[in-house]
Amino acid sequence: MKKTFSNTYIFIYSAVLVVVAALILTVVSVSLKPLQTKNQQAEQKQMILKTIGVDATRDNAAELYAKHITEADGYYTFDGGVIIPLKGTGLWGPIWGYLALDESSTVVGAVFDHKGETPGLGGEIATDKFAQRFIGKKMDTQAIHLAKNADHSNPYEVDAISGGTMTSNGVTAMLAKAFEDYKGLSSNSRISSSSRDTSNTREEVQL
Amino acid sequence: MKNFDLIKLPFSKNNPILVQVLGVCSCLAVTAQLKPAVVMALSVTVVVTLANLIVSLLRNTIPPRIRIIVQLVVVSTLVVLVDQVLKAYVYDVSKQLSVFVGLIITNCIVMGRLEAFAMVQKPWASFLDGLGNGLGYSVILIVLGFVRELFGSGTLWGYPVMEKLGLYSIGYENNGLMIMPPMALILVGLIIWAHRSKNKDLCEQ
Repeated sequence: MKKTFSNTYIFIYSAVLVVVAALILTVVSVSLKPLQTKNQQAEQKQMILKTIGVDATRDNAAELYAKHITEADGYYTFDGGVIIPLKGTGLWGPIWGYLALDESSTVVGAVFDHKGETPGLGGEIATDKFAQRFIGKKMDTQAIHLAKNADHSNPYEVDAISGGTMTSNGVTAMLAKAFEDYKGLSSNSRISSSSRDTSNTREEVQL
Repeated sequence: MKNFDLIKLPFSKNNPILVQVLGVCSCLAVTAQLKPAVVMALSVTVVVTLANLIVSLLRNTIPPRIRIIVQLVVVSTLVVLVDQVLKAYVYDVSKQLSVFVGLIITNCIVMGRLEAFAMVQKPWASFLDGLGNGLGYSVILIVLGFVRELFGSGTLWGYPVMEKLGLYSIGYENNGLMIMPPMALILVGLIIWAHRSKNKDLCEQ
């Protein structure tokens, strides 16, 4: 035998159900927020440290970060240069990253991440393999861009991701925007940089 | 059916992946490494068990016309809870599983058990059925994750087994096909083959 339910019952039933579900989710979300934020901040510090070749775990990230990185107005400085944040959009959602530049605006380290690019295609920007391609490239007179069959001797060109054209375009746009925002930063920071000792040796190497 | 059977049968005779052929999508997607496979297995087990219990408790109040929506609300609430907990306590794993946690909502095992079992059975039996099916799914996921990580990446839970055994120095190479989803399908096929030859009564005439 089947019970029948009136329309009023169905409306009230679904309304109550949804409100109860929303209440539970709100409580959990609010109570777990501090832990999640802590994880996200640790991850951001890990990413920044990675650009200067420091491998941090989630636990010692804060400590190493305090040791190596100084926060400036919208960017970061380390012993030997600056780290600029990158923010942009990929195909499905936000993409972001950090570029570490030395005094001659040469990339010494890069790291990228994304919210929801296609795994195996656009999602490849989060791999070390992709980030490695930026090392030695320059951000002085123009921004780095991604290109198909990139010319590896060109200091402003990096190989794009096959199958990830939209994401690659997003990375190019993100780099162009960061270049506009932070143009000339690495040479300015040289003057204010307190770590003269290492910057001298670095310049000699470049000569 | 005896309560014990509810737990036991999904392991073999009524395995959700091998016999019901439910939840195959996620089983191909997350088993390239052992760790995400185990976390996914645990998450699905928690979700299907609790969803079965809750829907069974509500079963007499649920109007049949909106029962799928009600099931979906219960399942998605649980999945979002699991996602939030993973993000708070095992952040790396939750990043690795990314979209797949959300996709538990559409995991056929969950909806399948709710429709077929929890809507018409008592809470305790439904709870056991959910647990049994979740664990039956877990077993296959863990076996796949084990084999694929060991032969695909030469590691287990991130520990470099093959390197420690010194196999690379005598010319051993990882099998790249193992980390691709198609290989998981082939492995599932092989397991089903072995399973059916043991259980002839499952074979169709």
